[in-house]
Amino acid sequence: MAKKNSIELQDDEFRVIGKPSAPEVDSKAKSRNLWISILSLILVAGIGAIIILKWPKEVPENPNDGIFENNPEVVIQGSKPTPLGSQTDKSYTEKIDTIINDVILSLYIPHNATPELTLGVPDRADKSIIFAAQAADIRKDNRKILGAFVLKGEPLAWGLSKKGFCAIIDSVVTVGVSENSPLFEEATEKDGYFFRQFPLVDNGTLVENEPKNKTMRKALCSRAGQIFVAVSESDESFHDFSQALIDLGVENAIYLVGSHSSFGWFIDANGTKTLFAPDVHRGTYKNENYIIWR
Amino acid sequence: MPAFIVISKGTELLRIPVERLVYISAEGNYSHVVTQDNRKTMVSFQLGQLEDLIGDQLGDSGGNLVRLGRGLIINTDFVFSIDITLQRLVLSDCAGCYHELTASREVLVKLKAYVEATHRDNG
Repeated sequence: MAKKNSIELQDDEFRVIGKPSAPEVDSKAKSRNLWISILSLILVAGIGAIIILKWPKEVPENPNDGIFENNPEVVIQGSKPTPLGSQTDKSYTEKIDTIINDVILSLYIPHNATPELTLGVPDRADKSIIFAAQAADIRKDNRKILGAFVLKGEPLAWGLSKKGFCAIIDSVVTVGVSENSPLFEEATEKDGYFFRQFPLVDNGTLVENEPKNKTMRKALCSRAGQIFVAVSESDESFHDFSQALIDLGVENAIYLVGSHSSFGWFIDANGTKTLFAPDVHRGTYKNENYIIWR
Repeated sequence: MPAFIVISKGTELLRIPVERLVYISAEGNYSHVVTQDNRKTMVSFQLGQLEDLIGDQLGDSGGNLVRLGRGLIINTDFVFSIDITLQRLVLSDCAGCYHELTASREVLVKLKAYVEATHRDNG
């Protein structure tokens, strides 16, 4: 038989046989060649356009491009103003699987949805909720919310034991690390939301935490203006999980209630609801709280 | 989709119902074809050659057979479990056919995503 196969695979590569149009086909070399061709065409077209237009004489003036009064790029941390790659109006959660330093991660990116916090278990029958995950922890001694918490402008807890925070103000999510954040007050003034959790990544730097056990980890992350939730598919320490997030390029991240029994779900583009863990939830804690996108 | 894959070379011919093909593993210049009856047949083709041959015969109607790295072609209809942590892939029909294979974590992540995607599309 004449040898025509082309591109041998590496051990980490995957290819669907007999279905060239399959979306999951992973042919790096073919893809590379395609991109090289496209980029070459773009480059040639760009050079041609520059010559034709005699750049820079005819470049349109941009009022924001002055030397002294320039308009710096604003990095918005939040899911609502960020398209996150979606071109549809449909609300759904995109799931991406990846491996960073041997840590298997699933990334959940809500599309076309608004974040908020809820107190109590969200209505599982509510199909408008495309993502739900437990947010702040609950104190063992009195079952109150652990750390400062604001629900639609109403402060419900004021603790500072955890330095990581998430504020949702005007539907924009901000993730950060600070003992005293003015966003707590702002959330109370603007009907916003606020909760605290273990800090994992602070401006690209790993934050160590006391618990040393390994379990399924979950984090609320901001990266290049995008907000998403990362979940480890295997048991990980805080340290390894946080380092994987940093290697992924995450700038700020705080923990979300993890472990194998933490409750939550996501709805994908096909409308399929998937639970993060087996449905063993007791629903007995009135202060159980969730971050949801709807 | 054609009902059979025919692997023919010299004086030998192998004719396999597509839905009974469980996986093909590489062994140097040879390959082992494993079918649902747990029969393992060695053929004198490299895995890449078999991939071409199968691709030609399936045309655009493939999708169930996928190449995993350098060493495997599997039928995704038989994927029973994927354990990325242990790098273990089990192909089974939950009857008498059961095969434990190993693959890289990276390729298992991709396979898992592919199986999930095709399950959603078909569901």
